[in-house]
Formats: sequence, C-alpha cells, structure tokens
Amino acid sequence: MTGNRKDVPKIDSSELKELTEKLITACHILDHEGVTDGYGHISVRVPGADAFVTIANVSPGCVTRDRLIMQDLDGNYLDGAKTPPNEWPIHSCILKARPEIVSVAHTHSKWSTIFSVLPIKLKPMHHYGKFLSADGPPVYQGVGLVRTVERGTELAAALGKAPAVLMRAHGDAVVGESVEQVIERTTRLAMLGEWNHLALLHGEPKYLSAEELKVYNEDQRFPMRGWEYYVSRLGERQ
Amino acid sequence: MALSGSETPAFDSENLRELKQKVVDGCHILDREGITDGFGHVSIRVPGTEAFITIAGVSPGCATLKRLVMLDLDGQYLGGQNAPPYEWPIHACIFKARPDVMSVCHTHSRWSSLFSVLRGGLPPIHMYAKFLPPKGPPIYPAAGLIGTVERGEALARTLQDSAAVLLRAHGDAVIGASLEQAILRTLQLAFLGELAHMAVAHGEPLYLSQEELGTFAADRSFPARPWEYYLSRIRERHSA
Repeated sequence: MTGNRKDVPKIDSSELKELTEKLITACHILDHEGVTDGYGHISVRVPGADAFVTIANVSPGCVTRDRLIMQDLDGNYLDGAKTPPNEWPIHSCILKARPEIVSVAHTHSKWSTIFSVLPIKLKPMHHYGKFLSADGPPVYQGVGLVRTVERGTELAAALGKAPAVLMRAHGDAVVGESVEQVIERTTRLAMLGEWNHLALLHGEPKYLSAEELKVYNEDQRFPMRGWEYYVSRLGERQ
Repeated sequence: MALSGSETPAFDSENLRELKQKVVDGCHILDREGITDGFGHVSIRVPGTEAFITIAGVSPGCATLKRLVMLDLDGQYLGGQNAPPYEWPIHACIFKARPDVMSVCHTHSRWSSLFSVLRGGLPPIHMYAKFLPPKGPPIYPAAGLIGTVERGEALARTLQDSAAVLLRAHGDAVIGASLEQAILRTLQLAFLGELAHMAVAHGEPLYLSQEELGTFAADRSFPARPWEYYLSRIRERHSA
C-alpha cells in the first residue's frame, strides 16, 4: 500500500482530481453535519506514494481546491498551497504506522471531546458502533497540539490498531480505508457520543457485547448509502 | 383475504402511482423531521395483494419515484429498481403476521435507539402514547440486522399486536393501518422518547395509567391534519 513510488503526481493532476474533490466534499460534510467548527482536517494518502493531501490551514467548511497541500510522511512540502496544518503529524504519523489506512480525519467533535475527559467510556450501544471494539476507542492522554513528530508518534501508538482515538480535552482522530469510510465513522462516532451521553443520564445502558458486535459485523454493509445522503444535504446548502 | 400474487398490478401501472408517491413523501417527511439519517425505510402494502412497495437501496431523504422496489411477502422481486433493502424481512414478515397492517416504517431514530438500551422502557408520558401498549413498546433484544426471514419472524413475534417495537441498539419498527398513520406514529414515538428523556432527567415523571390512556384514546382524532402539515414542510424544502 505505502510505496516507494518516485513519480508522485502533482496535486492538480488529473490522476488526483477525483481524490482531491472527494477530500473537499468530505470536509464540507463534516462541517455541514456539525462535527467540525473552525478547526479540524482530513487527509488522504496519495495512492502508492509516501505522501498525503490535506487542507492548508483553512477551516474544513471553507476549503477550496486552491487551499489543499501535499506533504510527504516526514512533513516535507511537496505541492499546493504553502501552509501545512499545524497538526500535520497527526496524519503523517498515523499514515506511516498504518499502511492500510487511506484517510485520516481530525476533529474537535463535542461528543468525542466530552468522552475524552469523562471517567466513563464511549462504548457501542448502537450498531453504528460496530466498527469499534466493545470497550470503545482508546484515549490519547497527551496534552498539547500534535504539532511534533514525537507527539504524532505517541498518538499513533495510542490509536494502535483501532479505527479511532479520542484525544483528551481536544477531540478525535478517525481512520479508514477510504475517505467515505472515514466520514461514516466520524459522523457515527459523534452520534454514538451523543447517544451515550443521553443514555448515561438514565443510568448504565445495555451495551453491545463483543459477540453481538460480531453478529452485526457479519451483516452486509452499504458504504455508499450514507455518503450519497450527506452529499445530497450539501446540495441543499449551496 | 389477500389476493394471489398474480393479480398484483404491474409496478409501472398507473394505479400504483399514488401509493408510490406516498412512500416517497413519507420518506421525505421522516428525513425532514430529523428521524432518519442515511438509513431506514418506509413500505406500503399494495391493497388486496401479497405485495408491498418500499425504497430501493437509497436513503429515505434521497428517495424518488424511480428508486422504489415491489416485493412479495417472501421477498420475491416483482418490479421497480431491483435493489431491495437489506432488511426487507422487517416489512414482509410484519405484513404476513399482521393482515391489518398497511404500512411499516423502520428507522434508527435516536430516541428509539436510546430507549431500546435503557432498562426502564418508554412508559407513556403524553397522550400521543395512546397508540402504544400501556407499558410502552416491546423491545426486540437480539443483535444483527433483520436480513433474514428468521429474524423478521422473531421481530414480528416481539411486535405481536403492538403498533411499534423498539429494536435494541438499532432503532424501531412502527406500523399503521395507513402509511399516513405509520409516519405519524413514528414521529410521535420520537416525540415521546425525547419528552421522556427530558422528564426523567428531573426525576420520575407522572406517567399516564392505562385508564387515562383509554380516556384519551376515546377522544376524536384528526389524522389528516398532521399529514397535511408535514407535507407542507417538505413542499417548503422542495420549493426552496
């Protein structure tokens, strides 16, 4: 997956057009669905290369084609707008540690943030959480923005093999094998956080066990259904 | 009482047009009112037949007349876009078990999802609950999407003669003697969930007793009124 490809395509090449457009749409979806505010970013790996494209120091809701940046996995500038996001190591360190991962989202989602500081864990109480383990996402305890490779490496270690990590007093990082999957997981993590919050006001809910999650994971998936829906809602906005 | 499948009108025939439009309107209403997200579906029985129409592999909010499918009660394809919802047995098995049911809604409503995992159930807190059993809707406890007839039959058994069933960690299925009624009940179930949630945050609310629910149920109801209202709200969206 991660490769030694030498001919890294230019950010505005026809090869990357579909991917970069998807990245922009994904940013607008997280904004439209109320997950991001002025901050947060999504990245996508350049196929076959040790490089990724993300948004250049701009809010996800304001991103446009000319505000994308390409960097390599050491953070070196490769192409596009000049200003990398402050926390580029979130992307580069996770993409380095997890070769199967294609896309990473980082948000300050209120629902991830609240469970990042509570003694009780955000656990799957709905099948939307079937991508998580029964005891929920790990929590990265480090303080400070993830703007150094050292912190990025610690974050990737806290994430481990999980699909998402909460970042204490900060937000989350969610990974996936496609941009669509990252959007599905990020929006569902937010829904689960909200629903856990509602449920816990009543006492401990009946969570899904590891075996029950397995049953749900054996069902067929429809990865594009939610994407189509969220894209249709963007149409309304424009 | 139901006619045989061979007498089912062709999917494209003019006399199914009104039913199809109702399915699409019902879907758009549930989306507009914040009940559905990318998932969920609404079905309508083709009167007098062993067939029903539902949406074909599409989010309720994106449903169109072209993205519908007609199936028989064994899930056999009868017409339309050949992409039945994965959980078609929710509809087929309930229609089979309940000849009185003309429409079924399945949603992942946050309020149904919430009360499906709480230990106290959803007792009646408002007169809207008059369509529900006095202790609240039953809860289908098993994990897994309703992708098989076996699971669909188990769900229909849990529903029994109730008007709604919560699906644990999943959502709800709500039935009606008309599509309008199934949609209205789905919205009312969500309202009841939200209200009960808010009330319980203050301590134990004064729930309605079975007798009191009966008193409300004996009053006249005006089912056409909310349908007109909710339709007006999606028209607003379409003309915006």
